[in-house]
Amino acid sequence: MNIAGMGVVFTRGRGAAALEQALEQGWVAPGTVAVPAGSAPAYVVAPETLADKTVLAKARRADRFTRMAVLAAADALQDSGLAGRLDTSRLGTIVATALGPHTTTFGFLDGILEFGDAGVSPTAFSHSVHNAAASYIAMTLDVRGPTLTVTHFHFAFHQALLLADAWLAEGRCDHVLVGTVDEVGAVMAYASGRLCRTPADGRIKPLAFATAPEAVPGEGSVFFLVSRGEGAGYGRVAGAQLTAVPEPAPEGAVHLLDADGLSHDESGYRAVAREGLPVASYAPLCGSLMTISAFHAAVAALMLRRGRRYAVPVPDGAGDLQVCHESGPAEIRHVFCTRLDCAGNRVTLHLAR
Amino acid sequence: MQGQDREQELVKIRAKLKELLVSNLNMEGVTPDQIKDDDALFGEGLGLDSLDAVEIVVILQRNFSVEVKDMEKGREIFRSINTLATYVYETQQAKK
Amino acid sequence: MPACITGIGVVSAAGFNRADTLDSFAEGRRHFGKVTRFESPLDVPVFEVHGPLPAAPAGSESRTLQLALHAVSEALSEAGLGAGLTGRRVGVCFGTTVASQLNDMDFYTAYRQTGTASLVPVERFLKGNLAEAVARAIGAQGPRITVVNACSSSADAVGVALAWLRCGLCDCVVAGGADELNRIPLCGFHSLSVMSREPCAPFDRDRQGLNLGEGAGVLVLETEDAARRRGAVPALDVLGYGAACDAHHLTAPRPDGTGLEQAIRLSLAQAGLEPAAIDFVNAHGTATRDNDRTEGSVLARVFGPSVRVLSTKGYTGHTLGAAGALEAAFTALGLRAGWVPASAGFVNQDPEIPLEALRTHTVVRGRYALSTSLAFGGNNAALVLGRRV
Repeated sequence: MNIAGMGVVFTRGRGAAALEQALEQGWVAPGTVAVPAGSAPAYVVAPETLADKTVLAKARRADRFTRMAVLAAADALQDSGLAGRLDTSRLGTIVATALGPHTTTFGFLDGILEFGDAGVSPTAFSHSVHNAAASYIAMTLDVRGPTLTVTHFHFAFHQALLLADAWLAEGRCDHVLVGTVDEVGAVMAYASGRLCRTPADGRIKPLAFATAPEAVPGEGSVFFLVSRGEGAGYGRVAGAQLTAVPEPAPEGAVHLLDADGLSHDESGYRAVAREGLPVASYAPLCGSLMTISAFHAAVAALMLRRGRRYAVPVPDGAGDLQVCHESGPAEIRHVFCTRLDCAGNRVTLHLAR
Repeated sequence: MQGQDREQELVKIRAKLKELLVSNLNMEGVTPDQIKDDDALFGEGLGLDSLDAVEIVVILQRNFSVEVKDMEKGREIFRSINTLATYVYETQQAKK
Repeated sequence: MPACITGIGVVSAAGFNRADTLDSFAEGRRHFGKVTRFESPLDVPVFEVHGPLPAAPAGSESRTLQLALHAVSEALSEAGLGAGLTGRRVGVCFGTTVASQLNDMDFYTAYRQTGTASLVPVERFLKGNLAEAVARAIGAQGPRITVVNACSSSADAVGVALAWLRCGLCDCVVAGGADELNRIPLCGFHSLSVMSREPCAPFDRDRQGLNLGEGAGVLVLETEDAARRRGAVPALDVLGYGAACDAHHLTAPRPDGTGLEQAIRLSLAQAGLEPAAIDFVNAHGTATRDNDRTEGSVLARVFGPSVRVLSTKGYTGHTLGAAGALEAAFTALGLRAGWVPASAGFVNQDPEIPLEALRTHTVVRGRYALSTSLAFGGNNAALVLGRRV
């Protein structure tokens, strides 16, 4: 399955160029989100990033969650160079999310509490369903193929990729827009602040492999335009569901670890890091995010396209591990991205040139 | 005298409705004073749709304590700011 | 390559299991009433499930999961897989709406009032991804994902299962959908002005809107090889799945119904069937003005105005994330039993809809049937089911 185009919306901006710039620049301190106790650090997407009246012309009612997804999906299609050339009745969309548009959901609950069961807003209700973003993507890009939204707290993106590949294999679609979206909202930021430790300096330390790691919520959307045919500008997805890196590991391989502090114990990643490949994690650039795997896949795709490695933004705790400390040209042929869930289940994604 | 009161009240309701519609329906690029009293709200007019229609029901309920029970009748009420304002005024008067 | 149906499980207001449901269908019984599961000032009929459901595992308690596990148990038992799934590559794909949202009113009220709240509901929510929770409960180790495509969620979940089986990702998939009756969607559908104060009347001229319901529907799907290897003799199949997006509006169907038509034609193409081969259609038929007008017109266009159409929502209400799988299950049961019930609530033909729904209990002799789903967001899904002999 080839990656023909990519769209990214995250705290540092929008588009593959913004991601590249963030990777070159390294870590910067997070912004904040309002919580009952005042404010908490969070890697939030700036309102300016979402101010695009052209792409969002049909999305006047859409919330931030949907806007992030529409922009990332539209950018992925644009980036592929296939916009206007592909058959939209054979274009599918798969949106993966962990938490859905929960800010709108809680806004709807506000309506019930303030105005009663019979006084709530139908606009809020219809935008609080998980598939609102997919609907706006379809309307904006005139996608007439199958449109699916799926949810899982750990492996939503991997499952979405697996399904995209299945749709292409069974001939249901010629192209699929597959991606993730999740947002930071006050309620979940509050919950995250209580369920996870928060670093005083706002730095997530993914290579510290802590038993009680620190998290800073992040948000964003990442989309890929994939197909079996033309366009592999960003390489290809060679495997979405591996349980380990193949032995012996192929030449020119890098291993990205999806550690971002949201798991109660990240010590399991240490064993993964000891498997011999150079390791990296870019969670400090996007924040702690249940769908971080898609963000790492975007970094991987960029590494393959540019033939570059990028310095890890927060190397704390890496010790004697083989970690990339400087950005520069590199012969990268394979990128493995590994995600562990709280129960120790492992899924490794494999992108190759 | 009563006619004057009615007209004054309708002017107020129309102005409030325009503000409420622009803000609650996220009518981007439209300001309240750009909406004319007789502009068609739906379809080719201001481009509102069926979801806006049910949202207007909630706007009337929350801000004017006016109910619209029958959406089929709602079609005529929802034609323009004028028809909406008249419905709000008459419903409020009937309650007094 | 079809997917064999080796087990079916259903629970809804129409019945606590397959046999119970067929009894209600045969007698035309409709079990609706006022909301009893929670306090509600909304005076609308709903279709609740009454009866003892299995407990959900500690830490992930939810009524939606209980409904799902109840139907899963009936389906696995019919499939002869009740004893366990060890050693098999089993996937789990479930549709839902309610279970995907953290809509715990007590938690949120406390949070709003005091700025702090017990996080037990949050932790329960984070352990409650429906497909994951079902997989954990039955020990399935294959792919698992929860589909949140609003009202077509579980029809799409069956479609995902079909894709997994066809691509060799697993030998068996437990596919379905579940949703409990919940205050949040009840308020939401009320606000959309699409709920009827009367028992719903799909396709009827005087229909006033939908009623909400709750339930779960489950199909155990296997590849032919996997089923035969373990000695199962499948009699029913899912032959085709079609999905297409309207790309039109968040809440209203595309008036010309071309998205639904495309979904139906794709499902028939995958099944290798012409429209004439379809004996009956178990329609989405929510009884809203818009849905039934659009859907009825498309069905008449594709299958002709004399097509046999029913909506089972008159027996179950709209069960949202469970509807697609429940109705696929009812369709399969109809093919197997050789009859389908009257389309409850249908009395007078609507001049805007060029077909009539079934007025009576109807004998089915054909081998193929269709189940359709239309959803918020413009999703359309169609499933073709078949009987072998």
